Amino acid sequence: MINWGKVWSDFFIFLALTSNVGFIFSHDPYQLVVAIGVNLIATVLKFGAKKILSAELLATALVADLHLIPAAFLYFSQTHTDLAIGLAIGAAVANVISIVLLFIEMVMEYRKQEDSY
Amino acid sequence: MEKQKTPHYGKVKPINYRYIYEEKFYDVLGQLKLPLMVVIFVSTVGVLLFMIVNNKTDGESVVNYFFHTVISISTIGYTEGYGTDNLTLNRLITSIYILFAFPAGYMYGLVKTIQVLTTSNLGKIYKYWRMYKEMENIKDHFIITPFNEITKEIMNDFKKRNIPFVLIEPDKRKKEEIENFNPVYFILDEPHKRAVLLGAFIERARGIITAFEENTQDLAVIVTARLIMPDRNNFYIFATATTEGSAEKMKLLGANEVIIPQQTIGKRIVSLVLHPPSPLVSNFLNKIAFGEKMDIDITEVHIDENSWVAGKALKDIHLRKNTGTTVVAIVKPNGKMDIAPSGESVIKSGYTLLLLGKPENIEKAKTYLNKPQEVSP
Repeated sequence: MINWGKVWSDFFIFLALTSNVGFIFSHDPYQLVVAIGVNLIATVLKFGAKKILSAELLATALVADLHLIPAAFLYFSQTHTDLAIGLAIGAAVANVISIVLLFIEMVMEYRKQEDSY
Repeated sequence: MEKQKTPHYGKVKPINYRYIYEEKFYDVLGQLKLPLMVVIFVSTVGVLLFMIVNNKTDGESVVNYFFHTVISISTIGYTEGYGTDNLTLNRLITSIYILFAFPAGYMYGLVKTIQVLTTSNLGKIYKYWRMYKEMENIKDHFIITPFNEITKEIMNDFKKRNIPFVLIEPDKRKKEEIENFNPVYFILDEPHKRAVLLGAFIERARGIITAFEENTQDLAVIVTARLIMPDRNNFYIFATATTEGSAEKMKLLGANEVIIPQQTIGKRIVSLVLHPPSPLVSNFLNKIAFGEKMDIDITEVHIDENSWVAGKALKDIHLRKNTGTTVVAIVKPNGKMDIAPSGESVIKSGYTLLLLGKPENIEKAKTYLNKPQEVSP
């Protein structure tokens, strides 16, 4: 059975990375707004997960948000566009780490399930 | 040497009470997931919509669109965030946008968020979490169970003397009463479970006091505690019983001392009858016997073989002059008691002296009496 709750949250976590990377390459304001929105949603989805790595996952999401929101300020004020891109790259790295952690957690969860049989 | 553990210790994990309240907090956060997600989604869509319609992506416009979105969702609507160009188109888009943003973003998202935050007792969760976090540092404490008139008396006394304790009460209905009484640390759980006792850090405790009305409950607690802490000399179990028989059983099963309240009360009344109330004397004795007075104490000191006082007469050791304590009785190894001994009485090794005095003087006397022979003054 597919766990639809998991599909939903994983979808936004992956989308956070892809939209972020999209902005890095396109430098497009629309993409930046989408990236911020999706990153915030991914953060919220990591709330309250009583899982093994939930603290780490939430931390990476918050890092990504705190890169992207200043990036938006810098980008739209058109003072430090380069720095904005740099921050977005930082956020992308945080998102990559978040996905790595997600995989680690998946493996650990499966192990746990096998143990309990 | 490795500490010996009983086989019954088994795989029981202590209940981590702090963790329970952390989970409660995460549950509240979890309830916020969907409403917050909707609010973020609606706002993002709003900003994007106005950016596309007006085809403006400069910082000023984006901030204005964001402002317009927020005041639309929150139904405040101060002004129109977009400029005066394309007024009709913008108003059309805004109308359509509000039609779905108002029910989703405001009626569901914001209202639900506030509702979760106000109904979830975050303050109480934090209070309990902090209590259990502080409890993790507790040591040399007593575990007291359950919450009743007897233990209330004990706890009041312990508080005065700064003896740390953890209260365990199985009846969850008494929660409010306990909160009002305000013991520093309390747990609402079954005290006869190993996980609960371990969660109250029984391994670091000095002892446990159990005073249920039902002997069976006392027995269950005594047995469980004794299985975890088998050493009678390092872990004390005090209990109450209703009958001699159960008191005996409790002692056999591991209790250090068992008090039968009815019997104790009866004996005390008899003693009042036999010793016509002389307020000064009976008060004084009560205060010593029940430890109500903190600046006077009565203790036994055992005289071991190589103590310098062995073989000396009581008047020759100058106990009162040097330590400020008085010998009230000498107990011989066969149990015979020499009350108010004369100065000529000879102390031998193996005797026990009952000393009366201020606590700090008694401590002094203990070291004074058991100095080795060579160092005799």
